[in-house]
Amino acid sequence: MHKISQIHAIRITAKKRSYEMMTFQKRDVMKALTSLAIKKVLTDISAPAYEKVSKKLQKEHKCYIPDCYDHPEYLESVLKSIFGNAYSAIVEQIKVELAEHVDDNGINMLIKTMAK
Amino acid sequence: MLTISKKNELQKLLLITIICTGFTILISTLSGKEVVKSVTDVMYITTTAAFVILSAILVLRFKKTGDHGKAWLFLLGTSVSWFLAETTWTVYELVYDKNPFPSIADVFYVAGYPLMLGFLMYYLKPVRKAITKKMAICAIMISASIAIPSIYMAYSPEPDVTLFENVLATSYPILDSIIFIPAIIGIALFFRGEVNFTWSLICIGILCFAIGDIGFQYATFTNTYYTGHPADIILMWSYILFSFGVYDHIRIFRKSGHSNENKHLDSWR
Repeated sequence: MHKISQIHAIRITAKKRSYEMMTFQKRDVMKALTSLAIKKVLTDISAPAYEKVSKKLQKEHKCYIPDCYDHPEYLESVLKSIFGNAYSAIVEQIKVELAEHVDDNGINMLIKTMAK
Repeated sequence: MLTISKKNELQKLLLITIICTGFTILISTLSGKEVVKSVTDVMYITTTAAFVILSAILVLRFKKTGDHGKAWLFLLGTSVSWFLAETTWTVYELVYDKNPFPSIADVFYVAGYPLMLGFLMYYLKPVRKAITKKMAICAIMISASIAIPSIYMAYSPEPDVTLFENVLATSYPILDSIIFIPAIIGIALFFRGEVNFTWSLICIGILCFAIGDIGFQYATFTNTYYTGHPADIILMWSYILFSFGVYDHIRIFRKSGHSNENKHLDSWR
């Protein structure tokens, strides 16, 4: 009886681990998708605009483009400081690019934070 | 902090350049009309050449990437067109000793306007969704309020002024007011942003162009124009403002030494 419950416990732990791994992988994929969306929108403006945003993120917030998934407010402040009031149109474009992944909590948060 | 101090330095340099340009022409006027003619013509070529060089640097930096890359290509076209116009004007005046208005120089002057409009449109294209109706109406109204008196002043009812000269003269303030609309929208859009200084200079430059053009047409039709006229100082200021605007953009988007490292880090962590 004791052995059966032990096996059951092991099975549950393995399931948990695989679920955690899947969540972790999904997070990474979403992070990559966010980076790609930001990169696409900015390079559509110009390659130096992308470089400038990337450089400013590092200089002012010590982070990189993929980190904007966790800290969308950094991207927002950088875009504001470069493009002024026009940043809203760029944010709008990033939201359009990420629209099909709104079911992801991180992306949903990113959209909500930048939409404020 | 460093950016602010650099911007202040740039503003000081711009102010000094503008004052020096004005004083150089005014002092040359005291030495006679022939001297001021040569000085002004040479200064026109120098300022437009600087505008061409700076625009070319920006085109090389942006390498036609995205909408802004195309925009700078249009601005390079504008600067080349106006450089050719100024050179033609100087050749007519100093080499052939002829009155350059109207002449082939006007073809280059006029050709610069659609190219300038192309630059403004392409620059605003990625952020067009932020343009509100109110913003557009305000810009049109400001532009129209400048255009209507300008057209009135540029048109000459004198019988010795031909229809072609009149049409050409009135087309300048109309073209100035057309390119002034997106320039005002740009100022409102990029307000508080780093790129706003460039847009402010371009917008003030266009305004100087409009004032200079009216002054030029008015002086031409009243037979009081000479090369080095105060209208020329204002027109030259516009080229200086454009050049400084372009330079500021080069400064903002200059290539960083760590760009390759950044690209590598940004690709995936």
